[in-house]
Amino acid sequence: MTLLGPNGAGKSTILKMLSGEIEPQEGAVAIFGAPQGPEARRRIGLVLQEPSTDDLMTLQETLELHGRLFGLPRRELGRRCDEILDDLGIGERGEDRCETLSGGLRRRLDIARALLHCPDLLLLDEPTLALDPDSSTAIWRTLHERAADGVAIVVCSNDTVEAEANADRVVIISEGRILAEDSPRNLTAGLKRDALELDWSSPTDDELSNLSAWPGVGDVHRFHDSLHLTVDHSAEIVPQLFQQYGSRITGIRIRESSLRDAWFQIVGRPLNGESVVPASQP
Amino acid sequence: MMGVAGASLALLQRDLRAVARSRSQLYSSVLFPLMLMALLGVGVSSGLEPTSPRILDGDYTSFLAPGMIAMTALFSSTFSSAGFYRDRESGLLRALLASPHSARTILFGKALSAILIGSLQALAILVLAVVIPGIDLAWQFGWLGGVATVVATVLALSFMLSGLSLLLALRVKTMQGFHLIFNLVLFPLFFLSGAFFPLDQVPGWLEVIGYVNPLTYAVDLLHYASYADSPDGLIGPLIDGLVLGGLALVVFALGLSRAPKAV
Repeated sequence: MTLLGPNGAGKSTILKMLSGEIEPQEGAVAIFGAPQGPEARRRIGLVLQEPSTDDLMTLQETLELHGRLFGLPRRELGRRCDEILDDLGIGERGEDRCETLSGGLRRRLDIARALLHCPDLLLLDEPTLALDPDSSTAIWRTLHERAADGVAIVVCSNDTVEAEANADRVVIISEGRILAEDSPRNLTAGLKRDALELDWSSPTDDELSNLSAWPGVGDVHRFHDSLHLTVDHSAEIVPQLFQQYGSRITGIRIRESSLRDAWFQIVGRPLNGESVVPASQP
Repeated sequence: MMGVAGASLALLQRDLRAVARSRSQLYSSVLFPLMLMALLGVGVSSGLEPTSPRILDGDYTSFLAPGMIAMTALFSSTFSSAGFYRDRESGLLRALLASPHSARTILFGKALSAILIGSLQALAILVLAVVIPGIDLAWQFGWLGGVATVVATVLALSFMLSGLSLLLALRVKTMQGFHLIFNLVLFPLFFLSGAFFPLDQVPGWLEVIGYVNPLTYAVDLLHYASYADSPDGLIGPLIDGLVLGGLALVVFALGLSRAPKAV
């Protein structure tokens, strides 16, 4: 499950409540039906938003400390550490100090630590943020393997592409409220085939309602000086747009509809300013 | 199921390893008191020729030695708290708190590490004071009882300072702020503890401050046990022990009781 939302939406707060770091102001948290507490935490693996390792410790020592705090038997601990480091492709670095690791490798170590005690629930706060593609791929591969083993995985993210590619369910959160929850397929099912983002100086209500009435055009949303709409066939609609409103359009982005567009349709604005990318000039 | 003891042992091993790898901290904690004894001790002994009856034979270096043991415990607790801030800033502390153990258990384990490391470093100064020629520790009640008293005093002092560090670190968000408070409060208290000059030789107002200073009781016990400037010390071993032991228990318990879920 991916909790999808912009920075400040409340994703990390939800994760902190699930992990027991903070208590909800209202209601209660239950982990597999049990209240939050030591036994619940034993079943949780947590990956924080920032790397959380001590530079002076080696990778092996980092995992051993964690394993001992989770009560893993000593004879099993060494073998588990080796296995998990190998799984994440950092087996050869076991004796290196954490200060020698790149950001991507530190992230893998965080995930190795969270998986070490074989949790039933894995909570990850933006696990692939600012990582190189190799590290991201290694991390998602490991997470998919664990999900196949029956581990419940909750990921906080503001990356619609990753959420669409990896999540079974997506929870759309904005300003602390859940606005939608479904599979990526269902969330995008109502969209037309193509998505258009138009840079449009001060779009009027009349222009919006005119566009909405065009055949082959889905919902039209306005956000500052831009319009977002999904259409059946961009190849047919775009020439008509320029024919009728060419003087009003200063930029256009065309792509296949995706979760990113479902987000725009549901929330009414782009996720983390996604539309502020350089526009192709007409 | 791993209990408090197991978690504390795991944290202790980790912190001992960290100190062993932080060579500069290790060396400075031993070298600084030695340097003070060598420079200040010899300088005052020969330059000012102290005549106080509490400074036996005018030998200021030997008079300083018990105070330097207390100072090492004090500095070490500061360094240990720096480790607390380092763990908080690196995010490791949050990761530790996500374990099945309560925040109190984790902080207890870290405080025990600080106590052990601080005590070992302070006792290293005792060993050096014993072996360095020119420092004359007169174990007036025999070395066995004297060493046992020093060890107990250092442990109690470390407990108290560790509790105090915990109280401060849980409230003061930055390491700079922590050091500022430590320097503003603890350094003056240390100077007025009898470590550098006998408190019964100072003006009355200063002596009063000395008597309400918790560190005074530790320094007095150390003098009593190892230096023998008087058969009863300045205050008396019974009162010293009761005050120091009581404060150690109260401050340490207070520090742990304030442990929040998230730090």
